[in-house]
Amino acid sequence: MKPHLTDEAVLDLALGEAGPADRTHAAACEACGARREETRAALELARQAEVPEPSPLYWQALRSGVSRRIAEAGGAPRRFGVLVPLAAAAGLLAAVLSLRSSPPPQPSPSEPRLPAWSALPLEEEDDGLRVLEGLALASGDVGDWQAADGLEGYLESLTDDESRRLADSLRQQGQGGES
Amino acid sequence: MTSAALAFPSGLASSSVPQNGIELEGQAERDAIAACQRGEREAFDLLVARYQRPIYRLCFRYVNNHEDANDLAQESFLKAWRGISRFRGDSAFSTWLYRIAVNTCLNFRASRKPDARELDERLVDPRPGALAEIEKDAEAGRVRAAVSRLPEKQRATLILKLFHELTHEEVARILGSSVGTVKANLFHALANLRRAAAREGEGRR
Repeated sequence: MKPHLTDEAVLDLALGEAGPADRTHAAACEACGARREETRAALELARQAEVPEPSPLYWQALRSGVSRRIAEAGGAPRRFGVLVPLAAAAGLLAAVLSLRSSPPPQPSPSEPRLPAWSALPLEEEDDGLRVLEGLALASGDVGDWQAADGLEGYLESLTDDESRRLADSLRQQGQGGES
Repeated sequence: MTSAALAFPSGLASSSVPQNGIELEGQAERDAIAACQRGEREAFDLLVARYQRPIYRLCFRYVNNHEDANDLAQESFLKAWRGISRFRGDSAFSTWLYRIAVNTCLNFRASRKPDARELDERLVDPRPGALAEIEKDAEAGRVRAAVSRLPEKQRATLILKLFHELTHEEVARILGSSVGTVKANLFHALANLRRAAAREGEGRR
């Protein structure tokens, strides 16, 4: 004979949710049949626990109470949807600023220089470099690129302020060319 | 914002909510939730009206008295309003709201002195057939009192499954457990209820 049914199977039987195999077993097994009946009776007992129905006027009082509590709590729902991205953005900004304010790590002399991905065009195809060279030579106010490790090294060595001034110069140059 | 600007039917303005609540299904409920997330209070009145009865009854079954049930129901709705921005529709709104209410009831009970009368989960099985000795005309109050003394998880499972007619899967989602755990808790809740009733039947003899 099959082993006795598990508690879950007995519960399913009492709830009328058991499969045919368990139903057949309970019908043939006196012990499992008795457990099913006890569980079924307990379900009936539990279902007698009806909640007394409040006065019809109570529901309006409940809604008023909820409204009052919401008003006392400040009214608006919490804006987690906005605050979380804002907090994340603030954290990211702080991390970037702290990285930029600290000196960049110096590669060891033996460390090979790895090629970096760049969105810039190849140097020989980049007409902007010629403009930069001309600007730097003409104005002399954005640092000595020739003293640096080539143009690429020079651009990397620019401070934020110098980069901003260079961008302004380029913008003015562009506007001058258009006029 | 005025109720006229709400994206759900203007005929459901809060002032027109019947005393016993309203039916708010499908798209109308989703629209009301979206309006709440924009901060529109009138929309939340509709959700309260829709769910006030089941939430109150759930709380009542937990604490077995009107005053605490009223307080807990209001607290549950307040928490729902404050957290509604986090509701993303991954589950039914009712599931989300029931979960808030269950947690509110659990916290309420945890903040009180332990009920010395709470049933011990480790009670041994009663003798077979004990249920037959219980009076058939047991009053609902006595059964509710026995339900309110069940261990926390068993009580939550019994209330949600039997009295709110939720599926095992829905109860599992609300309680953050598995279907197997829900079934096990329900089975033991019924067994404990049976034992409590049997003991009371013996005590009254």
